[in-house]
Amino acid sequence: MAIYILRKLAFFLGALFIASVAIFLLIRGAGGNVAAVVLGKGATPEAINALAHTYGLDRPMAVQYFDWIGNMLSGDLGRSFRTNESVADLVTARLSVSIPLAFSGLVLGLLIAIPVGTYAARNVGTPSGALLALVSQIGVAVPVFWAGILLSLLFGVRLGWLPTGGWTDWSVSPWGAIRSLVLPVLSLGLIMAAVLIRYVRSAVLDVMNQDYLRTARAVGMTRTEALLKVGLRNAALPLVTIVGLQIAELIGGTVIIETVFSLPGLSRMMLANVAAREVIVVQSTVMLIVVFVISINLIVDLLYGLLDPRVRATR
Amino acid sequence: MILSKSSHLPNPAPLGVPASPPARRQRRKLPRNASLLVGIVLTTIFLAVALVSFFYLPSNPNIPVIRNRLLPAGTAGHWLGTDVLGRDIVAQLMVGARTSILVGAGGATLSLILGLIAGLAAASSGKIADEAISRGADILLSIPGMVTALVLAATMGSGALTTILALTAFFTPSFTRVVRSAAIGVLNEDFITAARLYGRGKIFVLIRHVLPNIAGVMIVQFTLYFAAGILTEAGLSYLGVGVHRPSISWGLMLNEAQQQVGISSPLAIWPGLAIVLMVLGLNLLGDGLRDVLDPKLARRAS
Repeated sequence: MAIYILRKLAFFLGALFIASVAIFLLIRGAGGNVAAVVLGKGATPEAINALAHTYGLDRPMAVQYFDWIGNMLSGDLGRSFRTNESVADLVTARLSVSIPLAFSGLVLGLLIAIPVGTYAARNVGTPSGALLALVSQIGVAVPVFWAGILLSLLFGVRLGWLPTGGWTDWSVSPWGAIRSLVLPVLSLGLIMAAVLIRYVRSAVLDVMNQDYLRTARAVGMTRTEALLKVGLRNAALPLVTIVGLQIAELIGGTVIIETVFSLPGLSRMMLANVAAREVIVVQSTVMLIVVFVISINLIVDLLYGLLDPRVRATR
Repeated sequence: MILSKSSHLPNPAPLGVPASPPARRQRRKLPRNASLLVGIVLTTIFLAVALVSFFYLPSNPNIPVIRNRLLPAGTAGHWLGTDVLGRDIVAQLMVGARTSILVGAGGATLSLILGLIAGLAAASSGKIADEAISRGADILLSIPGMVTALVLAATMGSGALTTILALTAFFTPSFTRVVRSAAIGVLNEDFITAARLYGRGKIFVLIRHVLPNIAGVMIVQFTLYFAAGILTEAGLSYLGVGVHRPSISWGLMLNEAQQQVGISSPLAIWPGLAIVLMVLGLNLLGDGLRDVLDPKLARRAS
């Protein structure tokens, strides 16, 4: 197990390093002269040079890269060119929207997908199984923002139960904050569920055809008992991997849903900064998101090793 | 022809399960062929619409005609009505189909090519190259596609080409992994050893023997990523970091509908429906083709 953990940690650090270099090169390399981009077309060369000098953008790339990484490690994510706000403050202010949204969306997706997928697997070939397959097939084709639009059309405009957009902060009214999150979470969760149902279904089908399940039945367990007591743990393995892989998808969905419902989350901040060409803010925020995803992947890998002794032994 | 071929394939019942009675087998096969059929029909319709849009449009989808603003569906000359600037919805949807197909297929094709090169290199080279390519793909996979797209839009400016590049960056690692594992499977076959013993070079073997044998898997993957590309493009254009006027995208239309007239307008329905039907068609096509071209994978997935 120790070797397994070390290998995964080495991969984690390597991934962080390569991803940071890639992000840095992409943003600095493809973006051309950062100071010129920030100041826009009408800027004089003197102004560009002055800004570049203030922010140290005229130093060699390698120096700038290590400077950026060093600062990030010590918690300094840089500052906005225009407003001079610190990126760390900008980001933390928005996490109270984005994290509950993404996390509840994922949990809701799993809460729907696990029972429905299991039911679909047990009813392969029957009309209800076929119907579920069709519904999830259609669900996968629905763009998450259109799901959001349709849901707010139904619950916001027609029924008037919930706000169609906007945000009430937790500090103003926790109940208001929850109300503004219900429809976004529902949209995200339903679309996540449509994707996850297919994985749950094939994972459960796979388990159902294994010898150990037949053995469990042979020692007197009912189908359901065998599936719950023996099958679940085995089906959980591929599921953990899938959830890990879906994190990237989840972040993409969160970005879009925040726009649909005008939520002041992390991704809306990103979009605004992309439009304003706030290179440093975008660079540091992107790196934070990537660190988050890679950390989730590390946790998934470690969990996988914990759940399945075979993984530890073979890798 | 493809349809008739599937009837010769063995029944894809999983191993370890007693063979199903013939009646049940028949019933299970039917919806599969149906998915291929529906997929072909839907995809063909959208391809045809996109093609027609190059030669014929009911009216110019970008020129505002204020006296025609917000006409309801069913108006003569404007079947689905017009938007807030009096532009015809059908014409916009037709040009939107063109954008979706161009961007989706463009991203899927570029990543297919790059994935083939990297995947085949990983499968046929030594352990170090394989490890480097595979781990590299893993790392790239952990960068969310939406984030890549935003970064590219921030640095290159948004547009159809940027969107295609973002999709390529996003899909290439997964293609690489699929190609690698499919190619390794083929490379372990006896006929490859025979070809090598006969004196065939590595490149020759890859092109002449491995490529045709993984073509089925590749076609299926291409279809599914084509669909994913359309979804992603719609999302990016909705966010305002995809294509812009005078190009039209279904995602852009939804954005405009929500911003300008509100979601209760039918304008927020048609483009969404178009996206769902096109993506559904491609996904069904991919699933149907998988049953025909790649029975081994179909058995695992079903």
